Amino acid sequence: MTAVTFIDTGLLADVKRFGAADVSACFSCGNCTAICPLSDNDGTFPRRMIRYAQVGMKDALLSSKELWTCYHCGKCSDSCPQQADPAEYMAAARRYAIASYDRTRLARTMYTRPFVGSAIALLVAVFFATFLYSAHGSQSNRSLKVFDFIPEHLIHYTGIAVMVLIALAGLAGIVTMARGIARREGVQFRQLPLAGIFGALWNAIGVESIGQRRYRGDCSEIQETEPLYRRRWLAHSLTLWGFLGLLGATLLDYGLSLIGVRKTGAAVPVWYPVRLLGTLAGIAMVYGVSMLIVNRLLRSNRAAKESKPSDWMFLVMLWVVGFSGFLIEIALYLPHAPSWGYWVFLFHVSVAMELMLLLPFIKFAHAIYRPVALFFYALAGEQAKQAGREELTSAA
Amino acid sequence: MSERRIGVYICHCGGNISDYVDVAKVRDAIKDEPGVVHAETTLFACSDGTQQDMIQRIRDEKLDGLVVASCSPKLHLFTFRGVSKRAGLNPFQYSQVNIREQDSWAHGDDHAGATEKAIGLVKAGIARTQWSVPLEPISVKTTPKTLVIGAGIAGLRAAIGLADIGLGVYLVEREKELGGWVARFGAMYPNRSSGRELIDRLVAEVKKRPEIVVLTNAELASKSGSFGNYVTEIRINNDIPDSLRLEVGSIVVATGFDTYRPEIGEYGYGIDGVLTLPEFKELVDHSTGSLTYHGKPVRTVAYIYCVGNRQPGGNEYCSRYCCAATVHASIEVDRIDQNVHQYHLYRDIRTYGKFELMYEESRKRGSVYMKFPDGTPPSVAKAPDGRTLLVTTRDTLTGGEELTIPADLVVLVTGMVPRDNEELTTILKLPVGSDGFYNEIHPKLRPVETVVDGVMIAGACQGPKNSTESVASGLTAVTQSGAMLMKGVAELDPLVATVDPERCTWCGACQEVCPYAAIDKITVDGREVATISAATCKGCGGCTSYCPDHAIDLLGSTTSQIESMIDSLAEDPLERVEEPVA
Repeated sequence: MTAVTFIDTGLLADVKRFGAADVSACFSCGNCTAICPLSDNDGTFPRRMIRYAQVGMKDALLSSKELWTCYHCGKCSDSCPQQADPAEYMAAARRYAIASYDRTRLARTMYTRPFVGSAIALLVAVFFATFLYSAHGSQSNRSLKVFDFIPEHLIHYTGIAVMVLIALAGLAGIVTMARGIARREGVQFRQLPLAGIFGALWNAIGVESIGQRRYRGDCSEIQETEPLYRRRWLAHSLTLWGFLGLLGATLLDYGLSLIGVRKTGAAVPVWYPVRLLGTLAGIAMVYGVSMLIVNRLLRSNRAAKESKPSDWMFLVMLWVVGFSGFLIEIALYLPHAPSWGYWVFLFHVSVAMELMLLLPFIKFAHAIYRPVALFFYALAGEQAKQAGREELTSAA
Repeated sequence: MSERRIGVYICHCGGNISDYVDVAKVRDAIKDEPGVVHAETTLFACSDGTQQDMIQRIRDEKLDGLVVASCSPKLHLFTFRGVSKRAGLNPFQYSQVNIREQDSWAHGDDHAGATEKAIGLVKAGIARTQWSVPLEPISVKTTPKTLVIGAGIAGLRAAIGLADIGLGVYLVEREKELGGWVARFGAMYPNRSSGRELIDRLVAEVKKRPEIVVLTNAELASKSGSFGNYVTEIRINNDIPDSLRLEVGSIVVATGFDTYRPEIGEYGYGIDGVLTLPEFKELVDHSTGSLTYHGKPVRTVAYIYCVGNRQPGGNEYCSRYCCAATVHASIEVDRIDQNVHQYHLYRDIRTYGKFELMYEESRKRGSVYMKFPDGTPPSVAKAPDGRTLLVTTRDTLTGGEELTIPADLVVLVTGMVPRDNEELTTILKLPVGSDGFYNEIHPKLRPVETVVDGVMIAGACQGPKNSTESVASGLTAVTQSGAMLMKGVAELDPLVATVDPERCTWCGACQEVCPYAAIDKITVDGREVATISAATCKGCGGCTSYCPDHAIDLLGSTTSQIESMIDSLAEDPLERVEEPVA
């Protein structure tokens, strides 16, 4: 446990490539800690995160669950006497962490090299489009029969291949991160009661990730800078819930065909429950993403002030997938199938594939790493409760 | 009955005395003492109003003696000597009796006893004043020349200042070159002009002044005489050794400092790449374009602060220039190469005053400051690969976990230590503090004078100082020299020992005990007797009590004065009843 930590003299310079504000100015006064709604009794957050970068404690930084408990409300930056912008630093450190958990260095490229990153994104999209189009069939003009144009099984198996790839890449990242945190925190899973682990899982995934409790509560800004309709937590929640809704609709669609209720691609009315779920979720997601994009364009809050290519890539792809989905739906219900419907479909599928494939390498990666950190955060709470209970028992 | 006309004032000190001592009772007890023509109590003897009353009283009543019973003479002896002088009374006819520090404050639990003691003390003061005689200050002609020892920045600047106020100057430097430490420095705070430039400017100014005689390779070999008229011998250590005899009125010692030399192994000192601050500064000052050490580029520097300073049992003081010097050096390094990583491992950063801005600049330029907890200093070792140095430390701001910095250079921030100047110290009888630096009389009020009259200290020989402070103290010594020598005569306190040649049989005992070498043997009317130089005597009284023939008396505290005080104190202060005639 007392292994000596070697200082990485280049750490701060490296983190700065991910957009870190000028934290050299930070003199560790702790005003950020005093004002942060997430700061707890040990009183080191977020001050110590900055210190790690200044000193060059790379492993400590990357194995800090605290990095991910922050939702960038910006109160610390408002109260920083040195204008070191700790909130922006935290965002940069998260980007740095995403890049560091990924061993392929693709995430690093996507974040720090805008032109190469965009070229890669374009090439991947072109690859999927070309690959899928290579097996294309006929375009019926009576009604939109997309699977006649691009064979369903091809999309299906390509999708599975993509899923396996991202599962591997994502899992590798998660394992790297989780091992680091567990080591630093001294977590002994075998000694924890199962209920505690499940409780922490529920808290991390249910309450915080899906429920967005802290995002809406503690971590919303005191004075919201944007009107209610594009408030940050609202836009983010709608995006998240919309995305999950679409994922659910897709899975249901597939499930229904598995049990033989309805064949995938069979024509259904607009009110058909699964279709309705998809439509509503799509509306929510496109609305949410649009607002997030508007906020970033207007730089209307602390979190939207600075955007990296990777952030834009994620938002734009989400929006494109959502919006093109609607165009397909419109084309589906038109009396005559327009030929653009087929091309939009090809575009939609290609970008969706790309979005999933790039998940661990762009901003999207926060969706896998943040829950891991939140799990450890909740686990620490469970451990504290456990310790409290043991103390009570031994006292009695 | 006494012929004397003595006035006595007993001070309340606003309650400091009168809360414990019944001052009215004291007055009543002493008002009929022999020679007392006036006695009164006063709320504050030192107040302007009372001083005016005293002057009026001395004049109206033609007083020839004054006693004030109040606080310590350290506080107001000169106040009431001044009152006497203004009233036309010889100041040495005044006696101060301390009934505050030595009575009321000490005996707050025993008011009756305190009053009794006060009566005794005041009576003794009156008894002493009965025997007082008018004394005049001793006047000696002074030589309008100053010997400046050490030609560093303080000595050079002092020499110029002395010449400019019209004094002759001998500037004596032990080394071959003038300039001391500063001559070796590169860019200095705040406007980055180099130390060499500063010294060159001063040396040019020195050369313009014919009043300054510069002696290099030279050392003080001996000193005799007294303040105003010292005779010194200077040893010139040239190929052909030489010696000079110089007469001067005062001496300014500006011999500077040495830097701490770490022991081999102390923070890795002795390993290649572990440097002291002066060694590192030299490296930085000679670098342009990039910082290299032995031809290899330096990527990471670790500074370890407070080496050899603030060590319990060692040098306990803080050299306080080193923080600023190191922070400045780190900025210079950043100017040379922005990509050098710099880690400052410190106990406390003391960039006081304007140096604080430098500290901020250094941090903004990327220097990382890490405070190590007291008691766990960093350690330095060579990396197994032999290429880098591994500095292991703890950072209090990240919970004190052990961290290792791979560094190309380790700089030990060494402070100032006193120079080894034993010969000079002995010759001048300079007072040395427990830290080894020379001591002034009073750090605030008499900052450059020493207990040896006419010998002043300036610059870092007195304790750690930066260049600015050294020059300031050098110029203070100029002012003090001017104040002493510009009048041409010096007035010395007349409270010195005198020999009665009739009684003296020259046994030599007094000469042996005199700590100031003020006593010589002379022949008067064919008899060998002792004589005491009034200019050299400090009035300590050592010889007086030692003389077996009672031939020596100390003016101002004569044997008859002391004996009358003892006699007075020996009486019962309250019951001086006439012996009934049998």
